[in-house]
Amino acid sequence: MSGVRAVRISIESACEKQVQEVGLDGTETYLQPLSMSQNLARLAQRIDFSQGSGSEEEEAAGAEGDAQDWAGAGSSADQDDEEGLVKFQPSLWPWDSVRNNLRSALTEMCVLYDVLSIVRDKKFMTLDPVSQDALPPKQNPQTLQLISKKKSLAGAAQILLKGAERLTKSVTENQENKLQRDFNSELLRLRQHWKLRKVGDKILGDLSYRSAGSLFPHHGTFEVIKNTDIDLDKKIPEDYCPLDVQIPSDLEGSAYIKVSIQKQAPDIGDLGTVNLFKRPLPKSKPGSPHWQTKLEAAQNVLLCKEIFAQLSREAVQIKSQIPHIVVKNQIISQPFPSLQLLISLCHSSNDKKSQKCATEKQSPEDHLYVLEHNLHLLIREFHKQTLSSITMPHPASAPFGHKRMRLSGPQAFDKNEINSLQSSEGLLEKIIKQAKHIFLRSRAAATIDSLASRIEDPQIQAHWSNINDVYESSVKVLITSQGYEQICKSIQLQLNIGVEQIRVVHRDGRVITLSHQEQELQDFLLSQFAMALKVAARSWFSFPGTSVKTFRRVMFYRIANGIIFVVRSEKFSGIRWKVETLSIKWSCLCLRSALACYDPCFQHEVSRNGLEKMNHKHKEEKFSKGVFRCLPSILKPFTL
Amino acid sequence: MGVTCVSQMPVAEGKSVQQTVELLTRKLEMLGAEKQGTFCVDCETYHTAASTLGNQGQAGKLMYVMHNSEYPLSCFALFENGPCLIADTNFDVLMVKLKGFFQSAKASKIETRGTRYQYCDFLVKVGTVTMGPSARGISVEVEYGPCVVASDCWNLLLEFLQSFLGSHTPGAPAVFGNRHDAVYGPADTMAQYMELFNKIRKQQQVPVAGIR
Repeated sequence: MSGVRAVRISIESACEKQVQEVGLDGTETYLQPLSMSQNLARLAQRIDFSQGSGSEEEEAAGAEGDAQDWAGAGSSADQDDEEGLVKFQPSLWPWDSVRNNLRSALTEMCVLYDVLSIVRDKKFMTLDPVSQDALPPKQNPQTLQLISKKKSLAGAAQILLKGAERLTKSVTENQENKLQRDFNSELLRLRQHWKLRKVGDKILGDLSYRSAGSLFPHHGTFEVIKNTDIDLDKKIPEDYCPLDVQIPSDLEGSAYIKVSIQKQAPDIGDLGTVNLFKRPLPKSKPGSPHWQTKLEAAQNVLLCKEIFAQLSREAVQIKSQIPHIVVKNQIISQPFPSLQLLISLCHSSNDKKSQKCATEKQSPEDHLYVLEHNLHLLIREFHKQTLSSITMPHPASAPFGHKRMRLSGPQAFDKNEINSLQSSEGLLEKIIKQAKHIFLRSRAAATIDSLASRIEDPQIQAHWSNINDVYESSVKVLITSQGYEQICKSIQLQLNIGVEQIRVVHRDGRVITLSHQEQELQDFLLSQFAMALKVAARSWFSFPGTSVKTFRRVMFYRIANGIIFVVRSEKFSGIRWKVETLSIKWSCLCLRSALACYDPCFQHEVSRNGLEKMNHKHKEEKFSKGVFRCLPSILKPFTL
Repeated sequence: MGVTCVSQMPVAEGKSVQQTVELLTRKLEMLGAEKQGTFCVDCETYHTAASTLGNQGQAGKLMYVMHNSEYPLSCFALFENGPCLIADTNFDVLMVKLKGFFQSAKASKIETRGTRYQYCDFLVKVGTVTMGPSARGISVEVEYGPCVVASDCWNLLLEFLQSFLGSHTPGAPAVFGNRHDAVYGPADTMAQYMELFNKIRKQQQVPVAGIR
């Protein structure tokens, strides 16, 4: 900055002029650059008016525009050029060619304008189309068409062929993989019924009841395999299935639980024999595939095994008066002293021939289907308990169990209430109770029926109630005399058959408890028969002229003709009319009819009570007819 | 749960606790009652920790935690004149966790054990009250099952008590006085036991006589 001298910088313009001449002394003479007008003239000279339309118009327009702009400059250039013209002899003034071209263009334009205006009038000139020349020879378009059509057709054909090829490829592929695809659809069907999971490259399924609440330790897994032993060439069989299930070997075949009650004890040697009584397989639904039946059968076998395992475990653990015997596949227990209850698991695999089980001592009717069904129900109840909504969802901080059990602490339940909450009975106990009840009920029914058939007079009617409990049934027993049901209504018994005893409620309010012994019920009913007779007799013989003497087992009615006994003994139970030397056994009905006819006092009484109507009705009876026939002959000597 | 009356039987003159108990049980058996096992009622005392007390002058409240074999799954917690809580047996574990607030009074565990007799609708329990190794008294509990309202059956209970307790029959318990017509509950029984135990605790030790 300071101390440094300023440097002189000279600036020169870059545009150098052309050198025209270099003098001998080295001086250069420069050409004067062209001025603007000179430059324009130079460019205008370059215009070629005979060129094509577009460029010509543009250039012409450009030239025209330039010419107009620089008209002023051109005029001055004219002067310069006029001076130069003296030197350049061959070319005229540079704008000359432009001027000539423009003039000729103007001329032509004027001519055209004139022609068009004349043609527009159509007076002196009209426009006519120019006649066309003849077309080239005809074959050309036809062949051209043909060729073009052929080409287009070929193109279309190509597309169609490509598509067809693809289709055939897919069809053949389908044919080959038809079995492959069916396996998947079959697998889908299988999945709709059973739980499947994939382990590695194997497909396993679960047919146990574990997800339904069972605690049986059997795994219950089956394997799904592809059925590949099929020959594509041969015809595919109707029931061909591309997938097959492989069930565990111990669940093959079919099984059921046989429950039977027997009176006499089997020999010791018979214990443990496998009951191969083969029940015919339940018919599967017609539309269900074979794997469904197979799996269902296997599941049934598993359930039967679980039931039997539970029963045998309880049989061993529970202490009872008469211990239960568990031998192989049988559980033997004694609900009543003379009775045996046999629960056996009958599992027949498909391998053995069914002819082997031809020798069967027990008849199929021995099997109590009701109890078998109840066993299934009970085990399902047990399953549900483990999964019940009472236990799920689990409480966060309270002990697991029944909701009421959880409340038993804060609500101070005592021992009775706690015991009532906990069902302490096992499967075996329940089944034994049910078996006892069934046995007792059937025996009571048999007793009543046998008495009814044995004793004609009086009659016993039993009305069994339809609605029963598994542990209790009831029957209403009426003992009446034929024809006198309305009068002698007093013997009506309600029998409540329980598990171990029969409770009898009499019409007069007495409650008697009978044990399971058959004889007790029979004796009791016989005593009631006698009672019925006594009551009946008392009701008709309530008229004067008779004297009644009642003893423990017999009642005497003394009438004019003789003595009527109403008696019950081992040999005879009924009414006997002892007429001096003759002893005739009568039924109530006959006796009454006879008395009505022959005993004046009785007749009087009958008319008084208006009971004759009934009498007349029963005269129609055959039995009474027969008796009446012989009556006159017998009683003649004994009339009053 | 029926109406219950808990009372104390004073030890007979010149006899030990055991002998008195034996006397009573023999009387009951002669009456026709049948033995039905044993029973046990025990009581632990806790007092509120000093740290939780607001004022220094306020005395700590006593809380009693009791169990009764008649209600095996329950645990009772009561204050002297306050509310009674009936809870699950997990309550004992909870008390361990509440050590900071409730401290166990030393050597305060008192219990009564004995036999249980059933006589038709009556349930009689005769027990020996012990505190530690020593027997302190005799407790007699009579429950009349069918009735739950105290005022209705107090007379019947009294009569029954008289039949075998004789002159030692107690008066109506305090709990009856409060709510005569209300339904009787297990909490009332435990309140009665609590009073009995307190009474026995205050008593002097029964003179040990004739046990050799």
